[in-house]
Amino acid sequence: MNKRRAVKATKKISARIFSGLVFAFLYLPIAIVVLFSFNISKRNILFEGFTLDWYSVMAQNDALLQAFANTLIVASCSTLIATMIGTLTAVGMFRYKFRGKGVIDALLYIPVVIPEIVLGIALLSVFSLCSIPLGLISMIIAHVTFSIPFVVFTVRARLSGYDRSVEEAAMDLGANRKKVFFHITVPILLPGILSGAILAFTLSIDDIIISFFTTGATSTTFPLKVLELVRSGVSPDVYALSTLIILVTFTIVVVSQTFAYKRNKKES
Amino acid sequence: MKKESKPNPRIIRRAAALFLSAVLLGGTLLTAGCSTSAKKELNVFVWTEYMPDTVFKAFEKEYGVKVNVTTYSSNEDMLAKIKGSNEGIYDIVVPSDYMVKMMISEGLLQKLDQKKMTNLTNMDTSFLNQSFDPGNAYSVPYMGGVVALCVNTKMVKEDITSFSQIFDPKYKGSLVLLDDFRAVIGETSKSLGYSLNTTDDKELTAVGNKLAELKPNVKLLDSDSPKTAMLNGETSIGYMWNAEIAICMQESPDFKIVFPSEGTYMFLDNLCITKGAKNSDTANDFLNFLMRPEISKLVSDEYPYLNPNKAAVALLPDSYKNSPASNIPSDVIAKGEYVQDIGTTVEKYDQLWTTFTE
Amino acid sequence: MRMKLKTSHKLRSKMLPLITMVSPVTLWLTLLIVIPLLYLLVISFASTDASHNIEFSFTFKNYAKLLDPTLLTIYGNSLVVAGLTTVLCVLIGYPFAYIMARTTPFRKTLMMIFLMLPFWTNSIIRLYGWRTLLGTNGYINNILETVGIIKEPLNMLFTREAVILGMIYTLFPFMVLPLHTAIDKLDKNLLEAASDLGARAVRSFFHITLPLTASGIFAGVIMVFIPSLGYFFVSDLLGGGKSQLIGNVIERQFKEAFNWPFGAALSIVLILITLLLVKIYTKAGGNVDELGVV
Repeated sequence: MNKRRAVKATKKISARIFSGLVFAFLYLPIAIVVLFSFNISKRNILFEGFTLDWYSVMAQNDALLQAFANTLIVASCSTLIATMIGTLTAVGMFRYKFRGKGVIDALLYIPVVIPEIVLGIALLSVFSLCSIPLGLISMIIAHVTFSIPFVVFTVRARLSGYDRSVEEAAMDLGANRKKVFFHITVPILLPGILSGAILAFTLSIDDIIISFFTTGATSTTFPLKVLELVRSGVSPDVYALSTLIILVTFTIVVVSQTFAYKRNKKES
Repeated sequence: MKKESKPNPRIIRRAAALFLSAVLLGGTLLTAGCSTSAKKELNVFVWTEYMPDTVFKAFEKEYGVKVNVTTYSSNEDMLAKIKGSNEGIYDIVVPSDYMVKMMISEGLLQKLDQKKMTNLTNMDTSFLNQSFDPGNAYSVPYMGGVVALCVNTKMVKEDITSFSQIFDPKYKGSLVLLDDFRAVIGETSKSLGYSLNTTDDKELTAVGNKLAELKPNVKLLDSDSPKTAMLNGETSIGYMWNAEIAICMQESPDFKIVFPSEGTYMFLDNLCITKGAKNSDTANDFLNFLMRPEISKLVSDEYPYLNPNKAAVALLPDSYKNSPASNIPSDVIAKGEYVQDIGTTVEKYDQLWTTFTE
Repeated sequence: MRMKLKTSHKLRSKMLPLITMVSPVTLWLTLLIVIPLLYLLVISFASTDASHNIEFSFTFKNYAKLLDPTLLTIYGNSLVVAGLTTVLCVLIGYPFAYIMARTTPFRKTLMMIFLMLPFWTNSIIRLYGWRTLLGTNGYINNILETVGIIKEPLNMLFTREAVILGMIYTLFPFMVLPLHTAIDKLDKNLLEAASDLGARAVRSFFHITLPLTASGIFAGVIMVFIPSLGYFFVSDLLGGGKSQLIGNVIERQFKEAFNWPFGAALSIVLILITLLLVKIYTKAGGNVDELGVV
C-alpha cells in the first residue's frame, strides 16, 4: 500500500518538475524581453540600467499602437471566420463520404506546406486581378486562408472516436439538424474548436510574410512594425509594449477565469 | 459524467456575434476616421531605418498632409510588392541604383515634375546624371554608401587593408557578412581582379572556388543589423554597410573602418514616384522638400550614410565630416562600383550562393 | 417508429447539410489556393528572358536543375531539421499535454494560459531574446562561466542545434494543443478497467492510451513538421543564415534571383514531397477512417 503511494507521489513530483522545466524554457526569452524593456541602453545587448522611459516613448508611438490595433482586428476577424468554416469542414468531412473528398483533403495541406512567400505573392496576384483593395479586408482573407487547415486538423483530432448515436437519438426525438449541430455536436467538440481558434489566432498575430504582401498603405500590422524596429537592433519600446501585452492578457484571463471558477463553485 | 463547465452554446453564439460586430464597428471607425478627414495623404514605401520621423512630422506640419509610411528591407521585396499590386498603392519608393533602371524599363515609375525640383542644385553633381537614370528624369539621389570592412582592433592584431585577407583560415568562424549575394560574390570577384558584375563563366568558376575558402570563416550572415554581432563580440571582422560601421565606431574606439583596397561595392538610393501615384503633386513636393539642406541634415543625424547633398553636408557637425565611415573619402568613391542588372546570369550567381550557404 | 423515406428525400436530406458544410471551404480553397497553384504549375515549366519577365515556353529545365546535389542536400537538410524538430516536439509535448489533461480543471486552465501567453508575444522578439541568451557573451554563457562550469564560452548560437531549439520553441503549442484535445477526451474508466484486469501502467499506456490519442499525435505532427520545412526565419535568426533551408532558396528565386519559374518548380516539389510523406504516414499510422482521409 505504501509502495503505491510512493509511486504516486514520485509521479506527481516528477510531473511538477517536468512541467516546471518546460515553462522555464518557454519563459526564458520572455524574461529577457521584460528585463530589456527597462534597459537604459537603446541597443539590446547588455542590460545597463533601469528606466521607465521606454514606456512613455511607446505610448506616444502612434504608428506602433495603430499597427497593434490593426493586428487585433485582423486576428479576431480571421480567427472567427476560419474557425466557423474550419469546424463545418471538419464535421462535414468526418460525417460524409463524397466524391472529391480526397482532393479537398489534399488541398487543405497546401496552405500549410506552401512557402509563405509563394502564398503571399499568389494572394497578392489574386487580389490585384479581382481589384480587391489592399487593406484590412485583404489581410483578413489572406489570414483565413492559412488558418483554416489548422482549425480543421485540430477539430478532427477531437472528432476521432466521436459517437454519432447521441446525434441520432436526438434526431429520433424530433430535433432538426441545426439544433443537433449547435446543441450537441458543438459542445462536445468545443475543446477542439477552441484549440483550433487559439492556434489560428496565434498564427495571425505573428504573421509577417503574407501580411507584407497583402497589406495596404495604412494597414501595417504589429509584427511588420516589430520586424522593422528589431532589425535595427533598437527596440526597447517594442519590448515595453510586449511586456504590457503580456501583463494585460494575463490579467484579463486570470480575472475572467477566477470569475468563471467562482460561478461554477456557486452553481455546484 | 465529468462535471466540466459546459458553456451554453446559445450564449457563445450571441457573444461571438456581439464581439464580431464590435470589432468590425471599431475597425470601420478607426479606418473611416482616417479617410473622412479631408486631409491630403502621401503614401511612402521606404527602407526600414532610413527616413526619420522628424522628417515626416516636419512635412506633415508644413504641407498639412498625412504621411503613411510602410517599409521594406530589400529592393526585391519592394519590387515584388509594386509589381504584384495595382497601380498607385504607394506614391513614393526608394529604389537603389540598378533597381531604378529596372523599374523604369518596366514602366513602374513616372517622370518627375522638373519645375518643382528647385533644390536639385544642392546636390553634389558627381551623384547626378547617373547611367541608371540619365538627366535624373525619374529620380533624385537620397542617401548612399559603400560596403566596407569593420575591424575590431582589440580582437584582430593584423593590419587589415584588403578584402582578400578575410579568406585566411585563421579567421575561422569570426566573420559577419551581409546576407547579400551580389555584395559578397561581387567583392570576391573584385578581390580576384574581376568586375563586381562579371558574367564571364571562367571568372565565375574561379569566384566559386574562392567562396569555398571563405565559407568556414563565416559565423553569420546578417543584413538587418550586422553591427550587433560586432558590438557584442560575436565576430571580429564584419563586411557591412558603412552606416552600420559608423555606429560601431561611435559606440567604441575599438572599431575601425577599412575600405577594401580592391575597390568597394557602392550603392546610391534614390527617391522615385510610382506610375499611377494617387498623390503626384504632393509626392513631387516631398522630393523637393527632402532636398532642402536642413531636412537632409535631419536624415544624416539619425542614419549616418553618405549624403549626396552638398549643402546639407556643410551643415553637419564635424563628427560626421571627420568620420570616414559617413563622409566617405572621394578616392574610395572614385574606385567604387555600382551593382548592375546582369540579366539571366543572375541565376549563376544564385547557384554560387546556394552552394556557399548549403 | 421510423418513417420510410423515399429515395429522393433521402438524397436531398443528405445533400443539403453536406453542401452547407463543405461548400464554404471548397469555395475558399478553389479561389485562393487552386487557382494560384495552377498558375504556379504553369510557370514552373516556363523560363525568364533577359529583362526577367516570364516567357511561356514549355521547358523541363527548372525541374532538371533539381538533380543538382547541392539542392538535394538542402532539401535533405530541411527534412532532417523538420524531422528532428517534430520528434522532439512529440517527446516533450506528449508528457506535457498528458499532465495538462490529467490535472484538476483549475490547474488545467492555468497551464493552458501560461502555455499560450508567450505565444501572444511576437515570435521575432522572443527569438531575439534567445539570441541574447545564447550569444558568446550572452547570459547563459556568463552564468555558466561565473559559476565555473565551463572555462570557455560555449558556441551555442548560429548552430544547427540553435535552429532546432528555435523551431521547437516557435511550434510547441501546435503540438501540445491537438495532443491535449485528444488526450482530454480519453475516458479514465478505460484505464481503471485495464488496471483492474491486471495490466501494468506501461502496458495500458502503449495498448490503450497511445492508440486512442493517435489522432492527436497525427494532427500535431502535421502542424509542426510541415511549417518547419518552410520556417526559414528561425534559421536566419538563430542559425546565422549560414545553412540555408529550402525556404530560403525558394524565397530568393522570387526576389533577388528574379527566377519565378525555378522558384515555382522548387515549391511544387516541396508540396509533392509533403503530400507524399503525409500519405505514407497516414497509411502506416492507421486511423485512416477516423480522419476521413481517403
